[in-house]
Amino acid sequence: MARTTLNIDLNRVEGDLEFQVDLDGRTVVDARCVGTLFRGFEQLLIGRAPRDGLVITPRVCGICGTAHLYAAALALERLASLPVPPHATLIRNLCLMAENVQSDLRQSFLFFTPDLVHPRYASQPLFADIDGAFAPMRGHMVRAALAASRKIVQLVALFGGQWPHSSYMLPGGVVRGANARDLIESQDIVDQSIAWYEAEVIGDTLETWLSLDSVDAFFAWLEAPGHAASAIGLLTRFARAIGLHRTGGGSRHFLSSGAWHDPARWQPPYGDPVSLLAAGIYDADRGLREPFDPQQINEHVRHSWYRPYPGGRHPYIGETVPDYQPDTDRYTWAKAPRYGDRVVETGPLAELLVDGDLLLRALLASEGANTWLRQFAPLRRTGLTLHLMRQQLNDLAGQIGSPHYLPPPDNAFSGGEGFGLVQAARGSLGHWIQVADGRISRYQIVTPTAWNASPRDSAGRHGPWEQSVIGLELADPADPIEIGHVVRAHDPCLVCTVHFVGSGQRHRYGV
Amino acid sequence: MATLLWLQTGACSGDTMSLLCADSPSIENLVRKGSIEILWHPSLSASTTGGLGEIIAAIEAGRQSLDILCIEGSLITGPYGTGMFDSYRGRAKIHIVEALARHAGCVLAVGTCSAFGGIPAAPPNPTDCTGLQWDHDRPGGLLAPEWRSRTGLPVINLAGCPTHPATITRSLAMIAHALPMELDALNRPRLFYGTMVHQGCTRNEYHEYNVEETQPGGRGCMYFNLGCQGPGTLATCNSELWNGRSSKTRAGVPCFGCTSPGFPKDGDLFRTDKIGAVPVHLPLGVSRGHYMAYKNLAGAAAPQRVKDREMEP
Repeated sequence: MARTTLNIDLNRVEGDLEFQVDLDGRTVVDARCVGTLFRGFEQLLIGRAPRDGLVITPRVCGICGTAHLYAAALALERLASLPVPPHATLIRNLCLMAENVQSDLRQSFLFFTPDLVHPRYASQPLFADIDGAFAPMRGHMVRAALAASRKIVQLVALFGGQWPHSSYMLPGGVVRGANARDLIESQDIVDQSIAWYEAEVIGDTLETWLSLDSVDAFFAWLEAPGHAASAIGLLTRFARAIGLHRTGGGSRHFLSSGAWHDPARWQPPYGDPVSLLAAGIYDADRGLREPFDPQQINEHVRHSWYRPYPGGRHPYIGETVPDYQPDTDRYTWAKAPRYGDRVVETGPLAELLVDGDLLLRALLASEGANTWLRQFAPLRRTGLTLHLMRQQLNDLAGQIGSPHYLPPPDNAFSGGEGFGLVQAARGSLGHWIQVADGRISRYQIVTPTAWNASPRDSAGRHGPWEQSVIGLELADPADPIEIGHVVRAHDPCLVCTVHFVGSGQRHRYGV
Repeated sequence: MATLLWLQTGACSGDTMSLLCADSPSIENLVRKGSIEILWHPSLSASTTGGLGEIIAAIEAGRQSLDILCIEGSLITGPYGTGMFDSYRGRAKIHIVEALARHAGCVLAVGTCSAFGGIPAAPPNPTDCTGLQWDHDRPGGLLAPEWRSRTGLPVINLAGCPTHPATITRSLAMIAHALPMELDALNRPRLFYGTMVHQGCTRNEYHEYNVEETQPGGRGCMYFNLGCQGPGTLATCNSELWNGRSSKTRAGVPCFGCTSPGFPKDGDLFRTDKIGAVPVHLPLGVSRGHYMAYKNLAGAAAPQRVKDREMEP
């Protein structure tokens, strides 16, 4: 069988995606994720005032600017060993939670589900229901999800003035504390969002939904008519009917740096684990969580268009010097982050597996990682996030009147280094800053999509997306919808690192 | 019905996210009402493989008419003038933009990146990027100053980082319905750029009496010390609230002047550059002598309740 190369066009990701796959017949035998955008953010931070990162880095990504802002503030706090009022950490958490809910809803109902309304599936028994719910721009879930995503980010505007792109988190706190008016407004936004999620997304109460803890319990739950007709019920039944629980395996190791910070524990010297959800590496083969060590993070450029260096480099000694070399075995503007020497996947599935969600761990143990499970995870997480928002607001009520900002001492940022790690909507996000003479001397950012969309590393190991499409069977190489399902379930955010754009059906024979 | 193609160049998707936040009108209602037909939008199009390439080819061949071309993101010309820091199908995005612009009824720069260059064009401008028809405050970007669209318009600059949600959808609706749109000297529509950010700021009670903060996190005005550019920046942030709730300056974040060609300014974004005790950049059009006299008097007239920061912004 002739070996062919297919260049695949994927929109409806954050940015666009070029994915090159080599086919043997109709089977994917190799894959290359091609990042086609370089914007040079790390260079334009060098020489600027340390706090300017709070304005510049949110503009790395329009959909997760709050996560960048949070990471940038944490890096400066660690650099200067600043205490942070619990009041401020609660507000930061609430804003990041709101942004993640927004992102999970838009990814699910603007980016992933439109592929289900594909003519190929028109003979499926559920197709009319799928079309009514998920047809782009007119499906009732699409319109409802847009409205819900607009509602939840109003909470960010209360504390930060606007979403997207504000700079209300500062090293030492936030610009505005909550008063009782803010609290009531925030509670109402969250209450309305929960009521919508219960009615439309799960067709059940949040409490029952979050208590589902086994494969049997979940599939029994799915039988009830109200659950089956909910958005997650429809998505699950349809995705499984077309076999999405059998594609998209990918990496066997899942990374979470730990979602949200514990207001009591995010304090100097920042030694202990500080997150509300556990950090770690979940090993799917052994069903075990290992502790997370940020020192293990390193980035390779062997297959990227950057000035070469051997092996991987920790971000503190990292560099980003573009070196465009078309027509070589380098193929992308993305670097390849690795954890030690391991290829790891990050994102909602990883975050919940690492923290110990019993349902997701059971589903993973029974069927392995797959496209349906990866898409199920953000909608599962939305419920957990809304539940935690309610709790954080209860805690915030106890902080009214307490400080929200502790001004750093003069010259706090004259020199040194620090890093901040958060769980953005798409997974682990890290900022590493070094300052000399009061100016930024190095700034390195490792985004969630950098992990997931990474190219091969120095040892030739494929990145997670590449791994998850290798072995896939395409029904029609001229219309590779299967790859759309697999890759969109990974929730690519290409603007973060890279910007993937592709072409149609250019076949290169005999490669 | 106006046909619309939205292309991202050196973008972060922030203006797309802003577009999705608009609710009066929302993009889905503009489509449903029949004002706009989306030929392509990177986040909204259902088209599968090859969709964008086919549409570009049809427009270039004259088989598909294009009424509105929206460009989000800076126009990247590096490395070495090739534009290959940002490509599509092996073709530099800047060349696609030039080709599409020739056929477009009108071209909108959505966001400060495509209007003036924006953050990616800040020093040292590592990707050699520019705006569509401006390079910061200099006329001429990817397109020459005298360039005009098929209907005789320059690039319409919907500046902002990101552009205010309502500014995007209302501008689209105005163009789709052929309503008059007066532009300012930077080719921004006056209706959305004829208001200072300062207008409607709830910290004006402090500004008025010269009660200025020296540290973030307080209730007072941020103009004199904390880098706020609200009195010199044109945008609707405080006359039409963001997400229906607030604005940066109301919350306590300085205005960074993101609708201006000079965004982001060099130097510390959280510090006001001053001559003596007075900001270098005065409120738009104000003379220094008069301003200093006014501020001295204003400070002297400040009531205790304002000096004591009793007023909630």
